[in-house]
Amino acid sequence: MSVKGQIGRRDFIRAAAALGIGGGIWKTAAREPGSMVWQLDPQQCVQCGRCATHCVLNPSAVKCVHSYPICGYCDLCGGYLQPGAKKRDTGAENELCPVSAITRTFIEPPFFQYTIDEDLCVGCAKCVKGCGLFGNGSLYLQIKQDLCVHCNECAIARACPAEAFQRIPAEQAYLLKTRPEGGPAQT
Amino acid sequence: MTVRNKTGKPIPAWVWGVATVIAIGVVVLLASKDWRRDPPQSFRYEVAQYERVDPSRVLFEEREPITPDVPGLTALATSPEGRIYAAGTNAVVVYGLDGREIARHAINGSPTCLAVTADGEILLGMTDHVEVLHADGKPKARWPSLGERAHLTSIAANGEDIYAADAGNRVVVRFDREGNVVQHIGKADASKGIPGFVVPSPYFDVTFDNTGTFWAVNPGRHGLESYRSSGALISAWYRPSIEAEGFSGCCNPSHVAFRSDGSLVTTEKGLARVKLYSVDQKLVGFVAQPATFHDSPMGAFSCKLETPLVDLAVDSKDRVLVLDANKNAIRIFEEKASE
Repeated sequence: MSVKGQIGRRDFIRAAAALGIGGGIWKTAAREPGSMVWQLDPQQCVQCGRCATHCVLNPSAVKCVHSYPICGYCDLCGGYLQPGAKKRDTGAENELCPVSAITRTFIEPPFFQYTIDEDLCVGCAKCVKGCGLFGNGSLYLQIKQDLCVHCNECAIARACPAEAFQRIPAEQAYLLKTRPEGGPAQT
Repeated sequence: MTVRNKTGKPIPAWVWGVATVIAIGVVVLLASKDWRRDPPQSFRYEVAQYERVDPSRVLFEEREPITPDVPGLTALATSPEGRIYAAGTNAVVVYGLDGREIARHAINGSPTCLAVTADGEILLGMTDHVEVLHADGKPKARWPSLGERAHLTSIAANGEDIYAADAGNRVVVRFDREGNVVQHIGKADASKGIPGFVVPSPYFDVTFDNTGTFWAVNPGRHGLESYRSSGALISAWYRPSIEAEGFSGCCNPSHVAFRSDGSLVTTEKGLARVKLYSVDQKLVGFVAQPATFHDSPMGAFSCKLETPLVDLAVDSKDRVLVLDANKNAIRIFEEKASE
């Protein structure tokens, strides 16, 4: 029996047990040095859309990321605008992204900055294909490690037609795109 | 314990066997097929309607291509007397109009662009500087670097003037024949009505038309601008559109070349179209449609996003030459005989 304001022996044992079990779970879930995580190689990705539909999470742990040094900050952006967009503006009918996860911000004529809203992005890669075909390929997919639940056998990797998923060291965690050596400077 | 049916009789072993087989079958069926749905149509990037070209609008037909024995072809040029020059990794190869190899010159590196002067000197854009070869392929000069940001994507020669497109600095550099920088052309200047080049990626072409007027592509504005050698803007036209009449994406047209009648041939990245425009900038028709260069570039399982159209030239017979990276070949297109 505990006196009010003091921790009794039974409460102490309960708290210690909870702490031990919680710590054990955290220890199991946390990525230890030397462990491997799943990641998507953007050079192999074929933008099939299965990252959006085959992840065990909904929405998917795969998100579009943006390499600003590669981006051309184009007005007529293949990753933001529908191929046949009547106008180059933020009208919903002109947007390529099915969930409006890309924000277009005017910088100076004729340049615009594009930002991905990760909370909205479903990882469908529609913008990745548009950017790769008509632009510089600055938009690409990555598994967000803070969202990924690290399945032993990644459900998307099983469905990926290009075998673009691979296990990489947890310390590396991402396969980022960088500006090609000798490529022209962007704004 | 024996399991019995309602009448109290034990269930026969064969029933258990059939039930077991059915259960195993169901498990195998469920495990062997991926029951998750495929991505819906709204997740697919669709440009097929813009890839389709009415065959009656294709005005050229393909001839036997030239397949240089040089890896990684990057640049193409023609000379007034009809020679065809192709540059790739560590080599420049020269062909006659009949496609037979005339000469082969060893170089160091992979040129980003190539031009030939009227007297046969070969100008190689080497990312940040120009190297000059004598007509016989012997090295003549290496011009100074244009700086760390420089990225030469096109070079054109006309008489004593050499023009090089620098995508990194978004400017055209005019040289004399000795390699001295004479003029920078195309820097934004509102007082002179010069809009400035918008070059999001290394697709920035320059050329001369049949009258000797200098033209530069402004790829981010989806058109062309003509300039005097003094740097004064003469005229400009832009066609931003994914429709056949226009140019789409970040940087198109990717390459241009004029024919002897003043008509303009263009290539594009994204949609690998080769088109022909009249002197008054109206679309005449197609030299080649996207399907000519790859079967299904927009297919769901294609990771080939880079354009296969690496360079473009028109030869002395007004044939259109396209450097195809996928086939590492010079594709040749000749205008169909009029009926």
